[in-house]
Amino acid sequence: MTIPLGHYLILAGIIFAIGLAGALTRKNAIIVLIAIELMFNAAILNLIAFWHYKQFAALTGQMFAIFAISIAAAESAIGLALVIAIYRHYKSVDVDDIKSLKG
Amino acid sequence: METIYQLIAGWFAGKPEWLPLAIAIAVPILFIVGVYPAIFAYTTLVERKALGRVQNRYGPNRVGRWGILQPLADGLKLLTKEDIVPRDADKFTHFLAPVIAVIPSVLLFAIVPIAPGLVPVNLNIGILFAFAISTASVLALFMGGWASRNKFSLLGAMRAVAQVVSYEVPMVLAAVAVVMAAGSLSTLDIVKAQTRGGLEIAGWFVFQPWGFVGFVLFAIGAMAESARTPFDIPEAESEIIAGYHTEYSGFKFALFQLGEYLAAIAMAGITVTMFLGGYLGPGIHIPYIGGFIAAFWFFLKLGCMILLNIWIRGTWPRVRVDQLMGFAWKVLLPMSILNIAVVGLWHFMGNKVLAWGVTAAILGLAFVILAKISAAGNIEKRTYRYAN
Amino acid sequence: MDYAFWTISGITVLGALLAVTLRNLVHCVLSLILFFLGIAAHYFLLRADFIGAVQILIYIGAVAVLILFAIMLTRNVTGEAGPQEVVGVKWWIGSLCAALTAGLISFAVRADSVAETLSPGPKATVAVADIGKGFVGNWIVPFEAMAVLLTAALIGAVVIALEEVRNRR
Repeated sequence: MTIPLGHYLILAGIIFAIGLAGALTRKNAIIVLIAIELMFNAAILNLIAFWHYKQFAALTGQMFAIFAISIAAAESAIGLALVIAIYRHYKSVDVDDIKSLKG
Repeated sequence: METIYQLIAGWFAGKPEWLPLAIAIAVPILFIVGVYPAIFAYTTLVERKALGRVQNRYGPNRVGRWGILQPLADGLKLLTKEDIVPRDADKFTHFLAPVIAVIPSVLLFAIVPIAPGLVPVNLNIGILFAFAISTASVLALFMGGWASRNKFSLLGAMRAVAQVVSYEVPMVLAAVAVVMAAGSLSTLDIVKAQTRGGLEIAGWFVFQPWGFVGFVLFAIGAMAESARTPFDIPEAESEIIAGYHTEYSGFKFALFQLGEYLAAIAMAGITVTMFLGGYLGPGIHIPYIGGFIAAFWFFLKLGCMILLNIWIRGTWPRVRVDQLMGFAWKVLLPMSILNIAVVGLWHFMGNKVLAWGVTAAILGLAFVILAKISAAGNIEKRTYRYAN
Repeated sequence: MDYAFWTISGITVLGALLAVTLRNLVHCVLSLILFFLGIAAHYFLLRADFIGAVQILIYIGAVAVLILFAIMLTRNVTGEAGPQEVVGVKWWIGSLCAALTAGLISFAVRADSVAETLSPGPKATVAVADIGKGFVGNWIVPFEAMAVLLTAALIGAVVIALEEVRNRR
């Protein structure tokens, strides 16, 4: 018996939900970034699963996955640079501490 | 693996189907875990002997004739030593780090071909797999240094991470040039590409101008990746004790050493495969014994690369941290990017003799300019206060 | 294939759960690496070798190392994330939202019978050469846009991280 596509979709859904819960509940900015990475990966897993089950033309799924991974890498670089800049300014990486609009 | 399977599949006509497959899988694994650690053990002995000669002394010569049983004695000594875990250490991570240090190094051997068609696994992503796996080894260094709760360990770990991440970039770009010339990521295809045009030894990539530059870049990158002198600032004894493995003793320390040496040997193997023609050499097409001759050439070249590493280790001083980073980003990275462009030029120039001259001129000019820029202001005449 | 799927899925979900629940930041990153490895294994299982290798190279080799650097640079060397967050209103709301999302996705997948009946394509991997040709063929515009994006991200990250240093001088 082979695994149906639905299993992969539900797995990705569970991972996405875990990432969402982390992003909503944790207060440390770095953990929030980790949670966002989880959600990204869940989405990319979906792309590859759909590609494997021949839902797109030959290359489309893999190409989308590569572009998504590149975007995620750029996003994490910028996000962590922001975390470091915020830490330098506020001496804290707690997202609840960062609420003043003044510099 | 496939070759072995095809070879032995005929012998097991009446037997269960899975038997030849199981043997075809088991043989490469046994080969990797048997032969390469043996090479590691004797590399340590050869290294100590060679370093001894460089430093005008004998090196180990007490255990057996010429110290031939020294690796065994070292192993026994390390096995029986007390296993110390610092009280404040992060126990689980501290335990896991040496294990993780070995795994990527062993996996690297899976793509190194030793004879025509004889590679443990012929992946179509070959070289990329090697780079992906080798990045994982940096995690072991970080985990070991961080879990020890020792400031020297942590400094060593952070230095290791910064160094490996920096040298990864020129190394991968140097490999990109080879992949462009060979037109494939598979290691077997890369070796085959070096026989193109009926050239024998002259077809090896190291004898093309871009290949020579790539070879130097890759060898430097590989040396830095496996944190060997002169790039061993993560474990510089005179600065930070022993870096990330300060707090390791006994067999865990041995595992770190094993991982480091295996990674260096595997990287030497990949260098041989990509630039020095892998198993190519005179006489590999002789029927029946050709395969053994090919394996002989491969291991001969591997030994030469290991000896080159030891020689460099014995004769070069350790670089400073700022020199290390500046070298990676200001010299190696521009060279490797230029090298990729030059390979493109080489590919599209019809007359290879002319192409050889043009690419050599471009790369030589670039090297001279880079050397001038990076050396400007750094070299000043040394003045002696008392000796004059 | 069945056992492989369930084992790898278990490891992946475990890594994901630990990554967002552990207290020590470095432990979180190590669990995240476990999760990335699980996802890469899924890609290999789905016969997307190239994506699997890229996943390990980029996520474990670059993103995880970057996060570790960020933790170390924010003077949080032991990785302790401060006092344990209280299981308060916010926690319940967040978990409820996540559970609802998971339920909704599962319901949607279950309700759509197509997802259950699809069978995988023929067991062929896409050659890496095809991906390379795709980059300079059909996909040249996104590829160039990606190059611009990555350059911009590189410069942007350097500028953001350097800003305060310049002001201080």
